[in-house]
Amino acid sequence: MKKFLAIMLIVIFSVFAMAATKISVLVSPDNADALQWLAQEFMKKNPDIKVEIVPLSWEVLYPKLLQDLRSKAGTFEAFTYDVMTTGAVSFGLVDLGEFMKEHPELLPEGYDLNDFIPAVLEEAGKWGGKLIGLPFYNNTMLFYYRKDLFEDPKIKKAFKEKYGKELTLPTTWEEVVDIAEFFTKKYNPKSPTEYGIALMFPRTHTLFYMYLLFFGEYRNAPLGILRHGKADLEYGEYFTEDHKPAFNSEEGLKALEMMKKLMAYSPDPLGSDYGETIEYFNQGLVAMVPQWTGPYLMFKTTLGADKVGIIPMPGRSVSGQWALGINKFIPEEKKIAAFKFITFATTKWADKNKFLKFAVAPARMSTLKDPGVRAADPRVPALEVTYVTQTHRPRIPEEPKLEDITVEYFSKILSGELPLSIDTLNELANKWKEILGK
Amino acid sequence: MVRKILSILRYILVFMCLVFFLFPVYWLVITAFKPPDEWFGWPPKFLPTKPTLSNFFGAKETEVFGGTTGSIENIFPYLRNSIIVGVSVALISTAISALAAYAIARYRVGGPFLAEWIISIRMLPPIVSAIPLYVIFTKLKLLNTWWALILSHLVIVVPLGVWLLISFFREIPREIDEAAYVDGATPFQAFFYVVLPLSAPGLAAVAILSLIQSWGEFLLALVLTNDSRAQTLPIFLGRYITGWRVAWGPLSAAGIVTMLPVVIFAILMQRYLIRGLTFGAVKG
Amino acid sequence: MERKGKRLVPWLMVLPVIALFLAMTIYPFGFMIWASFRDYDLSKGEETHFIGLSNYFQIFKDTTAIESMKFTAKLLAIAVSSELILGTLIAFLIRGVRGEKVIRSALIIPMMVPPAVSGVAWKMLYNFAFGPVNWFLSLFGVSRISWLGNSFYAQLGIIIIDIWQWTPFIFLMIYAGLQSIPQDLIDAARVDGADWGKVFLHIELPLLRPLILVALVLRIIDCLKTFDIVFMTTWGGPGSATHTYSFYVYKVGVSFGWNIGYASALSVILLIVSIILVNIVFRIVRMREQLGFGGE
Repeated sequence: MKKFLAIMLIVIFSVFAMAATKISVLVSPDNADALQWLAQEFMKKNPDIKVEIVPLSWEVLYPKLLQDLRSKAGTFEAFTYDVMTTGAVSFGLVDLGEFMKEHPELLPEGYDLNDFIPAVLEEAGKWGGKLIGLPFYNNTMLFYYRKDLFEDPKIKKAFKEKYGKELTLPTTWEEVVDIAEFFTKKYNPKSPTEYGIALMFPRTHTLFYMYLLFFGEYRNAPLGILRHGKADLEYGEYFTEDHKPAFNSEEGLKALEMMKKLMAYSPDPLGSDYGETIEYFNQGLVAMVPQWTGPYLMFKTTLGADKVGIIPMPGRSVSGQWALGINKFIPEEKKIAAFKFITFATTKWADKNKFLKFAVAPARMSTLKDPGVRAADPRVPALEVTYVTQTHRPRIPEEPKLEDITVEYFSKILSGELPLSIDTLNELANKWKEILGK
Repeated sequence: MVRKILSILRYILVFMCLVFFLFPVYWLVITAFKPPDEWFGWPPKFLPTKPTLSNFFGAKETEVFGGTTGSIENIFPYLRNSIIVGVSVALISTAISALAAYAIARYRVGGPFLAEWIISIRMLPPIVSAIPLYVIFTKLKLLNTWWALILSHLVIVVPLGVWLLISFFREIPREIDEAAYVDGATPFQAFFYVVLPLSAPGLAAVAILSLIQSWGEFLLALVLTNDSRAQTLPIFLGRYITGWRVAWGPLSAAGIVTMLPVVIFAILMQRYLIRGLTFGAVKG
Repeated sequence: MERKGKRLVPWLMVLPVIALFLAMTIYPFGFMIWASFRDYDLSKGEETHFIGLSNYFQIFKDTTAIESMKFTAKLLAIAVSSELILGTLIAFLIRGVRGEKVIRSALIIPMMVPPAVSGVAWKMLYNFAFGPVNWFLSLFGVSRISWLGNSFYAQLGIIIIDIWQWTPFIFLMIYAGLQSIPQDLIDAARVDGADWGKVFLHIELPLLRPLILVALVLRIIDCLKTFDIVFMTTWGGPGSATHTYSFYVYKVGVSFGWNIGYASALSVILLIVSIILVNIVFRIVRMREQLGFGGE
């Protein structure tokens, strides 16, 4: 038995050794479908390179990347990394700027690095002044709502009667409060939906960025900017201009208060993550849901495009890009093969078509301006506004640790276990300082 | 009269037990055959009204989400890896556990300390082994191979196997061994041809338990393997949890495939499992 | 000549197991101890420094670690004892029932389901708005429970999953034990006028004691390692309510950047606790010999 297995192993390894250059690309499930399709198109044009797309769940991808890169084992050639882990994985990524200088012939024709939305290229692709990734999925959060309900004359009339103002599309969270209450059966027995808004405040990384949707509104308002300065792309809105925690402030407190207020109109916010809130909206349980760009595909198929409206996030949105990078610790010929693939996957053609086919949000300005694209997907106007105004998570190497302790505190504050006070936030800020080694 | 009521009560309790223990599995099974719009609903759909195989084989409707998260079409390499690793672990662990257990039971090799040391290995938290094993296998160039998993899983399952079989062998009277020696057999031969066949239930129990533990192992598979060459089914499940939806249908389908081989095998062998699990400890 | 062969051969038989364990556990074990005294953190780079007992002291200050210990203790106490009682009751319940073999096959299924898959199934069942569990409760007028978002119910939810997963294991062991009690023993007692209660207390229970003990020890060791179901369902929330100790070690040691030093210290504590618990159990029952440790 053992002998048989050993022989089988030898055979398999030799088969692999003799085959074409093989590269494996570790990706998150969000990117998997689009990359799988792109890989197939790529292999048609490059028969001497074999690309394997390996999807790993979100929680698992980052630890796996970090471990392999630190060990310099070079067990995979390319990967997608989430924007907030940029700093943490940067040490293991090939300097693409240098690489392009050394191999100018490898860059596809008309690639045009300047076509990428500048802020996106900076945030997702650069660290320490070097270009280390090519933006692939320029994800951000949008506000989805039941267009049919918001435009229904009977509903509009009932709203006006109750609140003395028109039912308009909200631009701040304060405006959302009344609308959410109106659509919650508990407070309005005639509501067409059972709950007003589907919020996800679970004890996962989700809560970390959901907070920014609310905090961003106050921190980036004129008073907030006066107090905390402008956020940069390295430390994001959680920090002040001079890189100190910004959330232990009046603005930070207001954000949590607003979140708590809206929880009353939301189904099980502390126990819901993506999967749940998407289903709630799909099944007509709620009238509004802040979500990423991807779920639109599901909403379109289940609810129907005429029922789903999209506007920029009340308050602020948050960025969530994914970029493609090359593992530094692999041999040169593999780097070349990987480079060919990741540039192929981020050309103008790829960027446009992966958006049309898989709703993977575009990173290039040419895609956003393309009339065909604008006609096919009604979200482009909202996206353009959002890309400019969105908030950002920190990208520094300590980010994952900061996330975990923050999510724990916020989760406890929202559930009532810890007091919603400036003291609690100060405690959290101290923990941050410990982690950052200050 | 009282007897009859008690009897009916008994059947009701049995029924309730069955519902409790089987319902989650049932739910998993029907979700695998449901199209996306039926995964959730109120009231929950206890029977799929539009059963479909699209979660298993893909279909035009799921094309919009792409092949990696729309169905389990790519499951085969992972299934193959799980089978190879699982079966190897089961066979090898049974073999070496039996040998060691026999030596300890019959000859008290290493005194009480060896036995205790072997069994205490089970208490080592797997997380602790993750990085060191990663280092070892990288040096041996066995990373992302079946052997990395087989060897790691053996460490987890052998302690239980040894423990189980030590008690089992003790129940087999020494006279049987002695009779074999009288006939001129070597210790190996006595073990192989005489004692082993008698302990078939114990061996079967060890094989089944080893398979179960290896099959469901998640952490070391995550750390020690990278792609479809050697990754196993539990890691494969992760891909259905995307940022735009959780693909409950394909996830359930993958769950069933992950579950089914072990369940079927165990049910077929349950007779042996039952006899083998007594540890030979219960005797009149 | 014969003597010599007899002494060598047994050692040869044990050799594969010893070789395997020496190769695969000595290094990890040593590494764990070594790393627990250093600030080994992969997200900070590869250099490490000796920091003495710093990691261990850190554990005392770490509220999440302590909360995870509390929950793990709760899980251990409630789940394992429930499994023992339920498993035994069920074993007695189904013996002699019609269709016993089929029922038996059905009842052992949960223990065969990989914990990751159980997590997926129960996550669907516990869904707040659409899950069958809340639907079932609504039939009794109970309003929707947040199984994953409320500290109390999340803990209860995890405990229920554990009971669901492992009661069949206990059931199987007790059932197997009952099967192997010689029937004449029981018949003799009945002839002597003993009722079911006496038979249970004086014959079956004592004979089952070793099995119950083995099951208990195995469950304790495994329960301390509970990880997969938390990972798949609650991710330790809300707050730290459903953090099991092993889940916390995973988060520290893997998820956030491989703080191996601290994770090793936590693991050393876990190991010590496991050893102490198991030894306590053995000492209470004084069954070392009967279970194959020490002399015959």
